[in-house]
Amino acid sequence: MAMDMDKNYLQISNALKQDREKLINRFDDFPVIEFMRQHSRILDTYFQQSFEESLVGPRLGLNKNPYAIVALGGYGREEQCVHSDVDILFLFKKHIPKEAVSLIQEIIYPLWDIGLEVGYATRTLSECIDLARKDYEVLTPLLDARFICGMSILFSDLMTATREKILNKRSKNIVDWLVKTNTDRHQHFGDSTYLLEPNLKEGHGGLRDYHTMLWIGRIKLNIRQARDLEYFGHLSHDEYLAVTDALSFIWRVRNNLHLETGRKVDQLYFENQIKLAKSMNFINANGLQPVEKFLGTLHSKMDYMKQRHLIFLSEHGHVKKPRYRRNRNAASSFDKINITNGTLEFSSAEAILGSSELLIHIFEESARLKLPLTTEAKRMVAEFGYLVNERFRSSDNVVNAFEVVLKEPAPAFNVLREMFNTGFLVRLIPELKDIVNRIQYDEYHLYPVDKHLLRTVQAVKNFGNDLDESGCILCANIWKGLKNRKLLLWAALLHDVGKGLPEKGHSHRGAEISRDILARFGYNAADIDTIAFLIREHLLLVKIATRRDIHDEETAIHCARIIKKVSRLQMLYLLTVADCISTGPNAWSDWTATLLRDLFLKISNILQKGELATQQAVKTSAHKKEVVLASASSDTEAAELEKLYQYMSPRYLLYMPDDEILNDIKLFRSLGDRSFVWNIGGNEAVNSRTVRVCAQDRPGLFSKIAGTFTLSGIDILNGQIFTWRNNLALDIFHVKPPPDRLFEQDRWHRTEKVLNDTLSGSLDLSEALNQKIKGDRSIKPRASKLPHHIVVDNHSSSFFTIIEVFTYDFPGLLFTVTDALFSSGLDIWVAKISTNVDQVVDVFYVRDFDGQKVDSEDQATAIKAAIEERLPRIV
Amino acid sequence: MKKIEAIIKPFKLDDVKEALNEIGIQGMTISEVKGYGRQKGHKEIYRGAEYVVDFIPKIKIEIVVDSQRADTVVEKIRDAANTGKIGDGKIFVFSVEEAIRVRTGETGNDAI
Repeated sequence: MAMDMDKNYLQISNALKQDREKLINRFDDFPVIEFMRQHSRILDTYFQQSFEESLVGPRLGLNKNPYAIVALGGYGREEQCVHSDVDILFLFKKHIPKEAVSLIQEIIYPLWDIGLEVGYATRTLSECIDLARKDYEVLTPLLDARFICGMSILFSDLMTATREKILNKRSKNIVDWLVKTNTDRHQHFGDSTYLLEPNLKEGHGGLRDYHTMLWIGRIKLNIRQARDLEYFGHLSHDEYLAVTDALSFIWRVRNNLHLETGRKVDQLYFENQIKLAKSMNFINANGLQPVEKFLGTLHSKMDYMKQRHLIFLSEHGHVKKPRYRRNRNAASSFDKINITNGTLEFSSAEAILGSSELLIHIFEESARLKLPLTTEAKRMVAEFGYLVNERFRSSDNVVNAFEVVLKEPAPAFNVLREMFNTGFLVRLIPELKDIVNRIQYDEYHLYPVDKHLLRTVQAVKNFGNDLDESGCILCANIWKGLKNRKLLLWAALLHDVGKGLPEKGHSHRGAEISRDILARFGYNAADIDTIAFLIREHLLLVKIATRRDIHDEETAIHCARIIKKVSRLQMLYLLTVADCISTGPNAWSDWTATLLRDLFLKISNILQKGELATQQAVKTSAHKKEVVLASASSDTEAAELEKLYQYMSPRYLLYMPDDEILNDIKLFRSLGDRSFVWNIGGNEAVNSRTVRVCAQDRPGLFSKIAGTFTLSGIDILNGQIFTWRNNLALDIFHVKPPPDRLFEQDRWHRTEKVLNDTLSGSLDLSEALNQKIKGDRSIKPRASKLPHHIVVDNHSSSFFTIIEVFTYDFPGLLFTVTDALFSSGLDIWVAKISTNVDQVVDVFYVRDFDGQKVDSEDQATAIKAAIEERLPRIV
Repeated sequence: MKKIEAIIKPFKLDDVKEALNEIGIQGMTISEVKGYGRQKGHKEIYRGAEYVVDFIPKIKIEIVVDSQRADTVVEKIRDAANTGKIGDGKIFVFSVEEAIRVRTGETGNDAI
C-alpha cells in the first residue's frame, strides 16, 4: 500500500517537475503573463491528478464531509512567478477529519521534495470566515481565491460567505486598513522609483500597489479581474494598457530575478542588476550602459504604477487630507478655471481647446492659491498636452505663468512635480525628454536625472524653511537676500539637462541647450548669460573644495576670476548646495558643507575686495605671461620660464611692469647658492635709487634689509615685498642716494657687506642700530599732532592679517616696525610703504610662522602694543 | 603587523592613493573627519555675521601592513601629502596584535 502511494505520487510529482523545467526553459518564448498562467496550470494539473489518485481521499467520506482544494494569493490570480510560493487552502465543509494529516502528507510533501515553497492551510468554512473577519491578512489571499478541484459548491459557499459576512459589512474598515498597511509598507520599503535597489513587490510602485488596487476593486466594486477596472470606468482604455504594460515589465524582471538567483527574491540587489540587464537583452544605446537603460525602464514602469495607485486611492477617497491649509476664500483669476471643494478644475474640455494657455494657467493658479488639481484636471492636461507647440512656448503669458510656478515657495505642495507627472513640463521644455528616467549607474546618484532636477529646485526653495536640508544658516541668509531668484531657479531646473546626450561634458552642453530654451522663452541676453554660466560651472565649487588647497589664496583668486561677480557667486553656491543635497546622502554631509562654505567665504572676500579678480587683472596677467614666454630663446628656456611664471603670485603679476619682471627673472637666475643678490637701479641724474633684493625667503628678512639701510645711512622712501611660490622673496626699496655721489659705488659695496653679515648672523643689527641712533627718540610732527594709529584687520582677507600703521617719519622707522612684527612672531608676505611729507602709512599682510592668520583679540592687542612700544614719543 | 593611520588634507587623497598603489598597497580605509591640531579653526565675516570653522575637514586613511613595510608606507604617505604648509597632517603607527580575514579565517600577514 505504502509502496503504491509512493510510486503513484512519485510519478505525478516527477511529471510536475519535468513540466516546470520544460516551461521555465522556454521562459523567453512566452509573454510573461502567459508564462505565469501556464505555470499556474501545471500546478493545477498536479493538484487535480493527486486529488484523483489520492489514496487517503476515499477514506475521508467526501459525501458526508466534502472538501475542496483552493488556490490563494498570486497562485489564485494565476500570476505564478518562477520561484513564488504556492499558496493552497484545503477547505472542509463541517469539520477537519483526522485523516486530513495523511492527505496533506500525500499531496504537499512531494512538492517540498521537488523544492517548491508551499504554504497551506486546512480550515473549515466557518473557520475561514471567522479568521478572515478577525485578521485581514487572512482575508486578502481569499480575495484572490480560485477553485482547483474537489467540491466546487464548497468554494462558491466560501465566496458568498466572504462577500455577505465580511465584505458587505465592513468594506470601509477593510479598505482603510489596506490603505494604512500600504502607507506603512511604503515607509518600510521606500519609494522604489527612487531606490537604487528597488523592491519589486513591496516598494512604492511595486506589485503590491497593483494588488491593493485590485483588492479595493473587489471589495468595493465586486470586480472579478483587473480588466474590470476598465469596464467599470476606473481606468481609461489607454491607462489600462499602460498598467498592463508596466506590470508585465515588472513581472518579467521578477521572474528573471528568480531565474538568476535560483530562489524567491523581490529585492533587486546591485549584484544582480548588470546580469539581469543582459539576460533581458538590454544593449548599449545613446551612451547608456545596458544596466542604465534597464533601470531607467524599470523606474519609469514603477513610477507609472505608483502614480496610478495614488490616483486610484485618491479617487476612492482614501488619501489623507494634505497638510497645507486650503484657502477657502480663494478665487480663480480665470473664468474657465473653477474651484470646487478646494481643488482646481477646467470648466470644460472645450475651454481648453478654445484657449490652450489654460493648461499652464491652471498650474499657475495651483501655485498661487496653493490648491491642487483634481484628478480629472490632471488627466485633461495629459490628454491635451499635444496643444503645446512653438507658439505656445514663446507666449509671454506662458513664460510669466511658468515663472510664478518656479518662484512660488512650495513647502508641502510641489506644483512643478505635478507639471512633470502630467507630462506637461516635458511638453513645455522638450529638451527634458532625454533625461526622463535617465539612470546613472553608481552608488552616488540616488535619483534618475529628471527626479534629481525637480529635487534641486525644491531644495533651493527650501533654503531657510522647515524642510531645509542644508543645515546651513549662511545659505538661508543668502537666499533671503537674493535679488533675481528666478535665474537661480532656472539654473536648478536645467543644470543637468546636458546629461541627455552620451558624450562627456554635460555642464558645457547643458549650458548651450539652456541658451536655446531660454531664448525661446524670450529671456534677455544678460539673464541667459547668467543662467548658462551657472549651469556651465555648477561643478566648479565642489571640485575645487575637494581637490584643491582651499587654504591657498590663489585657489580663491582662481575661482573669483572665473566667477567675477558677487551675485553670481551667491547663486552658484546655493546651486551647488542644492545640487549636492538632491544627489543623495553620499554627496552631502557636514564635512562637505564645511569645505564648501569655507571656499565660498574666501572667494566672496576676494571678489568684494575687487583688485585681484577684475577683468583687467585677468587680462594683465595673461598679457604678462606672453611677455615672459616671448623672452625665451629656446624651447627649454620657454619651459623653464613657464614654470617660473607659475611661481609668481597674482599680486606680483598685477603690480609689476613687464620689463621689471624680466629683470627679476635675471636676478633670480643669478642667485645660485648665495643668500641674496641685488640690483641697484636709477642713475646719477635721478634723485632716487631702486634696490631690488632677491633672496631665499626667511622670517625677518625685510626688517633686516631695512635695518641694514638705516645702519648704512641710506634713507628709505618706500618699500614693497613680493613672495614667489618657490619661497623666493623679492623686496624692492626706493631709497635716497648717498649725498656723496663720488663714492656711491663704495657705499653700496659696504652696505652689501653689512647685509651679508646681518644675514649670516655675524652682526647684531639691533645692537648696532642702538649704538647709531642714540639720544632723543621723540619726534615733532610738522602739522597735526595726532597720535600713532595702528589697525589690525582680520576681516578684509581670508588669508592674511592686515596691519596698518599710521605714524610720522623718523630714522629707522621701517626697521623699527618690521622688527617689532618679526619679534611678535609674524612673517610679512606683502608690504606697502608710502610716505606723504612726514606722514607715513605702512600696510603689512602678515601671518604667523606657521602660515596662519592671527585672529584672536589677545594676539591683535599684543601686536599693537609691541609696535606702539617701539615708536617714538610725539611731542 | 603595523597599523598606519594618517590624517591628511582632503585634496591630497588622490596623490596619496596613487603613491600607495605604486608600492602595491592593496587596500585602505578612508573616512571624512574633522578636527584641529596646530592648524586652528578660523572665522570668516560675511555681511556682518561671523561664520566659525572650528573643526577643519580632513581625510583619515587607515592601512594595516606587514611590519617590514611600515617605514616605506609612512615615507610614501609623507612625500605625497606634503605641501610644506601648516595642516599637512600627521601619521601614527600602531602595533597590531592580530588580523583575521572574515571569509576564510586566515590570520596574520596572510589576512592583510
